[in-house]
Amino acid sequence: MAKALGIVTAAPTRYKVEGMQEHRPIGSFSFAGRYRMVDFPLSNMSNSGMDRILVYINGNPRSLVEHLGSGRTYNINSKRGKLQLLFHDEANTNEIYNTDIASFLDNLATIERSHFEYVIITPSNMVFVQDYDKLLKTHVESGADITLLYHRTDEAREKFHGCDVLNLNRQKGVLSIEMNLGNTKDKNIFMDTYILKKELLLELIDRAKNLSSMYTLSQMVSDVCSEYDVRGVAHRGFFAAITDLKSYYDANLSLIDVKNASSLFDPKWPIYTKTTDSCPTQYFEGASVKNSLISNGCLIEGTVENSVLGRGIKVKPGAVIRNSVVLAYDEIGEGVHIENQVVDKWAKITHAKEIVSDPEKPGYVRRDDIL
Amino acid sequence: MPKNYREVRFMSQNNMLAMILAGGRGSRLLDLTNKVAKPAVAFGGKYRIIDYPLSNCANSGIDVVGVLTQYESVLLNSYVAAGGRWGLDSRDSGVFVLTPREKADEGLSVYRGTADAISQNIDFIDSYSPEYLLILSGDHIYKMDYDEMLNYHKAQKAELTVAVRPVPWKEASRFGIMNTNEAGEIIEFQEKPKEPKSNLASMGIYIFTWKSLRKTLIADMKNPDSSHDFGNDVIPCFLAENRKMVAYKFEGYWKDVGTIDSLWEANMDLLDKKSELNMNDTSWVIYSDDTAALPAYIGPEAEIDRAYITQGCIVEGAVHNSVLFTDAEVKPGAIVEDTVLMPGAVVEEGAKVTRALVANGVTIGKGAVVGSRDSENILLVAKRVKGEE
Repeated sequence: MAKALGIVTAAPTRYKVEGMQEHRPIGSFSFAGRYRMVDFPLSNMSNSGMDRILVYINGNPRSLVEHLGSGRTYNINSKRGKLQLLFHDEANTNEIYNTDIASFLDNLATIERSHFEYVIITPSNMVFVQDYDKLLKTHVESGADITLLYHRTDEAREKFHGCDVLNLNRQKGVLSIEMNLGNTKDKNIFMDTYILKKELLLELIDRAKNLSSMYTLSQMVSDVCSEYDVRGVAHRGFFAAITDLKSYYDANLSLIDVKNASSLFDPKWPIYTKTTDSCPTQYFEGASVKNSLISNGCLIEGTVENSVLGRGIKVKPGAVIRNSVVLAYDEIGEGVHIENQVVDKWAKITHAKEIVSDPEKPGYVRRDDIL
Repeated sequence: MPKNYREVRFMSQNNMLAMILAGGRGSRLLDLTNKVAKPAVAFGGKYRIIDYPLSNCANSGIDVVGVLTQYESVLLNSYVAAGGRWGLDSRDSGVFVLTPREKADEGLSVYRGTADAISQNIDFIDSYSPEYLLILSGDHIYKMDYDEMLNYHKAQKAELTVAVRPVPWKEASRFGIMNTNEAGEIIEFQEKPKEPKSNLASMGIYIFTWKSLRKTLIADMKNPDSSHDFGNDVIPCFLAENRKMVAYKFEGYWKDVGTIDSLWEANMDLLDKKSELNMNDTSWVIYSDDTAALPAYIGPEAEIDRAYITQGCIVEGAVHNSVLFTDAEVKPGAIVEDTVLMPGAVVEEGAKVTRALVANGVTIGKGAVVGSRDSENILLVAKRVKGEE
């Protein structure tokens, strides 16, 4: 088991997910039908034997607080372990002040008081599987001061815009951290995941504070690359970063591919989530469902293709859902045709007969909307 | 009065304790109960049979439930002991597995009958000092508000209330029949009568005023001629002593799932568009264990028509009129019709399964053909069926 304090950070404020984010922070977004984004970092930590975890929340906390509760879902026993939710008072004046460093500073004592020598920091807007026990061993054995996790991609032109990128030498030493501007296709996307000693983290937080109120942890680490031994470790397997509506839409639909799904969902590495005790999904006469992920509690009388359906979706006779991510408790009425959409929770679409968008620019149907 | 506050246990809701009789071997379920007790048998895609009475208890405001079992109880024990699944884990509530115990002066015993199972746990029941005791059985599928039944019991000032449901007259001789007077009081009880005088069948759900039952049980324990059974001994005793017993009529969905055919049928009932059980009703949720499984994956060539499919399933073939439990798999080109696939059952490429109940984890090999459309009984497939090599 990884003997380290876990920290799950909120997504950087530069990521804007149209519509969705008005209702909840990215960590609370639904993913693959029945999960929330934050289930992935927390399950990774829980499966790695970590049970002291701090979750930083910015933005509307309601749904995340409700989802996480005491952490029992993630097998964190409230007597032995601890899942702490830490709120950061957002500066309304200018969001440049809402950095990860600012939120660490708001609750610095919780980090200072930790008995662990090491800290593992990981974000709530990225989806991947990682054994932190292994990663911590790699870190300790390498003798590095800071280990950063990255994912090698050849799609950096089209994807991961605004994500940080590791500039590595041949020995995987980190030379600098820059932003992906989409100018070349091969990049080492930084997964915003750090392993370092607690004392070093506290030092970096303190130095960042004195440099600039806008400084983030990744900027600070980039600054100290020549001073400390900072190394990259490559991640393999499914990786998705949610940075805008398109990346959210694509990441969900990519899981319909069995290869991707089985890379993310290994029975030996369960992803935990809060149960809603919804019953199985019922398929009626006349239903046609192909190439889709279907959560429980749906009532399907129409057609569903290449889509991800969350819990409790009603698909009425003659309705057609194609290439869409439908979140939860929505009703797609008789004869309604939706294509290339992200439909937020509790929407009821009965009057609008056709909602079709360009797959390159998927549409967003608002929460609780009646169309 | 107890001297120490720790000796007092409260039931904060309706002062009724429930006991579920789950001891039966369930031998009519054949190989399904080789490894698990009947109440732990899977039902309805993601549930186990015992989720129904336990969820009904939780939804009816009952805090404490005892589960009486003496057969293969390890799995059942670990399953029900985590009362959190049904929300029965807040302060002073809980689910307790009660197996026959070794007592100081008696040595290890077995439960000699349904009533004896309660008698042997009088100490447990007394520790909560309930006013009412609800007796349930662990092999029925239904939703029922026991609190409403308790209100009826109180309003009637009865010592025993028996839940009954009208059955078709021609089937009445298969049931325990309660004959009532105009006031709804039970005046006669006939077990499987040749010539039934009423069509009100006992559902095996009893509410007793605990003080009244306790007295009878203590006498019954000492009676060498008693079979220690509620139907054979306790109710006749109440009748003989003219204690007030009333029938509480229940009209909703109710099914005994004691045989392979009836278990299959109850699963098939879920496919009805207007299923009386309405598992989607969020005001009366049936709670269960949650497994870490992906939503159901439906492949590009899948064909699904009238089906009940839960998370973790992978469907790449054809599924008609069937219920698929957690992690069941239908491979490309396979056909599953009028069938129940229990957790982890796999139907390989090109195989065809008709009118069958495929047990947990059983694989039907490539191209194998199992079951037939006009079989009299439902085929239970409990062992791997070899396919083409």
